[in-house]
Amino acid sequence: MRNFSYYLRLSLHNIKRAPLPYALTLVILSIGLGVFFSNATLYYWMNRDPLPEQSHTLFFPRINAVEQACDSCLTPLRVLSYKDVQKLSNSAIPSAQAGMFQSGGYARLPNTQNGPTPVSIRVTQRDFFELFNAPFLHGQTWADNDARMELILHYNAALKFFGRTDVLGQQLLLDGELYTIVGVLDNWQMLPKLYDVNNGLAITPVEEIYLPWETAYNLGIKSNSTTQSRDSRNYNENFAVNGREGEFYQAQFWVKLDTPAQQDAYRQFMDNLVASEKEAGRHPRPNGNLLHNMLDIAEAFNERNRQLDAFAVVSVLFLLVCLFNASHLSLNRYMASQFEFSLRRALGASRLQLQGQLLTDVLVNGVLAFVLALLFAVLMLLLINQLLPATSALNNWQPGLILLMFGVALLASYLVTLYPAWRASYSPLNQQLKA
Amino acid sequence: MIHITQLNKVFRTELIETQALHNINLSVAEGEFVALTGPSGSGKSTLLNILGTLESYDSGDYQLDGQSVTGMTDSALSALRNEKIGFIFQSFNLIKDFSIYDNIELPLRYRGFSAAERKQRVEQALERVGLAGRRSYLPGQLSGGQQQRVAIARALAGSPRILLADEPTGNLDSLMARQVMELLEQLNREGCTILMVTHDPEQARRAGRHVQIVDGMLSDATVYQPLVAQAVNQ
Ligand SMILES: Nc1ncnc2c1ncn2[C@@H]1O[C@H](COP(=O)(O)OP(=O)(O)OP(=O)(O)O)[C@@H](O)[C@H]1O
Ligand SMILES: [Mg+2]
Repeated sequence: MRNFSYYLRLSLHNIKRAPLPYALTLVILSIGLGVFFSNATLYYWMNRDPLPEQSHTLFFPRINAVEQACDSCLTPLRVLSYKDVQKLSNSAIPSAQAGMFQSGGYARLPNTQNGPTPVSIRVTQRDFFELFNAPFLHGQTWADNDARMELILHYNAALKFFGRTDVLGQQLLLDGELYTIVGVLDNWQMLPKLYDVNNGLAITPVEEIYLPWETAYNLGIKSNSTTQSRDSRNYNENFAVNGREGEFYQAQFWVKLDTPAQQDAYRQFMDNLVASEKEAGRHPRPNGNLLHNMLDIAEAFNERNRQLDAFAVVSVLFLLVCLFNASHLSLNRYMASQFEFSLRRALGASRLQLQGQLLTDVLVNGVLAFVLALLFAVLMLLLINQLLPATSALNNWQPGLILLMFGVALLASYLVTLYPAWRASYSPLNQQLKA
Repeated sequence: MIHITQLNKVFRTELIETQALHNINLSVAEGEFVALTGPSGSGKSTLLNILGTLESYDSGDYQLDGQSVTGMTDSALSALRNEKIGFIFQSFNLIKDFSIYDNIELPLRYRGFSAAERKQRVEQALERVGLAGRRSYLPGQLSGGQQQRVAIARALAGSPRILLADEPTGNLDSLMARQVMELLEQLNREGCTILMVTHDPEQARRAGRHVQIVDGMLSDATVYQPLVAQAVNQ
């Protein structure tokens, strides 16, 4: 690459020779790449493994425990009842386990005039944070799964209410109840939020406030997403009793099973559980036990985002069309400079040296197209976020993704340059140089 | 310097085969000034292009500076062109939007010379063709004769063993043609080996040696004088 600076100068000179056709080529390439990048971004966030270090050990058990007999009902409900969670919790096999559901409320600081602000809540149990690797900045999780007026705040909620994170022991009013803060999470996110997939492939931020499971049942706090009741009880009254005993389905349940042996043992545990329930006459439906791994959970609940899949296919096709067009324009450009190629060959430039020149062109085009494409991608993402508001949490780029996009831009630039350049550099030498 | 034996070249297109060169034997010694004449389409440019390794041949052998060119790789041929051959074209073949300086420097760029050596060589070549004051001009700002002198400077800058010129004065009026001829003659007197295609009998006479090609076959021009006249008259 001794000649790199010379090649670079020639590349830029070549651009200046015919700036308009060049700009057109670049814009077409960048639009294709931009559309592709924006979709790749969404696709990446939707399909990535949010917990690569332990997702393979996280499982969602489902049992077919609805109490009305139905021989053809083979698939369990998407959500679990309090009793389901209680039964499933009766196993020592998982190294961590937690029932949970999503809720919402209004919170404010006690003794202030500030009006209450809406907050997102996750009702859950002590192992939640271990299951999903949610790191604590201050404090720790609850000592056990009993009811207690203790909250754990997300980093953002701590800042929102207190303007700082070091707020252990401070109090917060949540829907009229006074809680003490016993833990503050670090600025943690989980994208995609796979623990909540049965409410849709969650592309929302993690919850701001974490509330003990038993406390929620005591206070009648219910899920604000999927709930099902399968009996005639009134769940707005005496939830502390009805919510626990009745057929009120709203929860998710996650267990951590570290080894295949543990996973087999847990399946066995589930079968035994159902068998003994049947014996006791409490499981009239067929055994429909399921144990979903976290990475299969979106498929299992049929919550893959098909729209985004379709977008992805379309964007790849669009990129191909753009590549084809840009390549065509690029061919014209190189054909116009064929004379110069031949002249350089005649004056002693080897094919290798000309290829060095071409690779420099590729690099220059790649960098320019990459920058322009990022710009188009941002615009596209804004547009997609407008059309699919749920995707708005996903439009940030990680270094790895940026690097990947740069690679794609270089490859695209290479493909666009390759054929035309090959055509131009392998034409017979003498013909171009004749009078 | 140049030694070709039994050289054949056939152009094949879909419709016809043209035997452009037929059993050519030619030797050029160091320091010679050889003029190559012949009717249009007789194969002059083809021969010169083969000598300049811009064109391949079908059979026979070509030795340049004691080295056989037959079967050389692309990079070896490129190096050969770059270091040993200076090519001068009828149509100058300068890059229009490069300065005179950059045009002359172009072949040196592919040779691994240091910046200082490139500069010295370009300056020397400019001096040699009497255009030192025009280094930053664009080719379009020079007369045809001056442009051809730039092309000669470009060919000279790499200190080639031989200069190949295909009708170097073909696009010039007689005054400018004479200037270019005088430059070539001077270079030859300084020891440069030159092989030049021309249509001008006057130029052919002034060259040290005159070779004629008819229908792809070489003949000694002194023997077939009438043919020369005929070729020239065309
Ligand atoms: N690339 C080619 N493909 C096919 N035929 C060719 C090609 N180049 C040259 N020829 C043929 O080879 C023969 C010799 O051509 P060449 O250009 O060497 O002639 P020339 O002596 O230089 O003529 P002129 O004086 O007109 O320049 C001609 O018949 C020409 O048509
Ligand atoms: Mg010719």
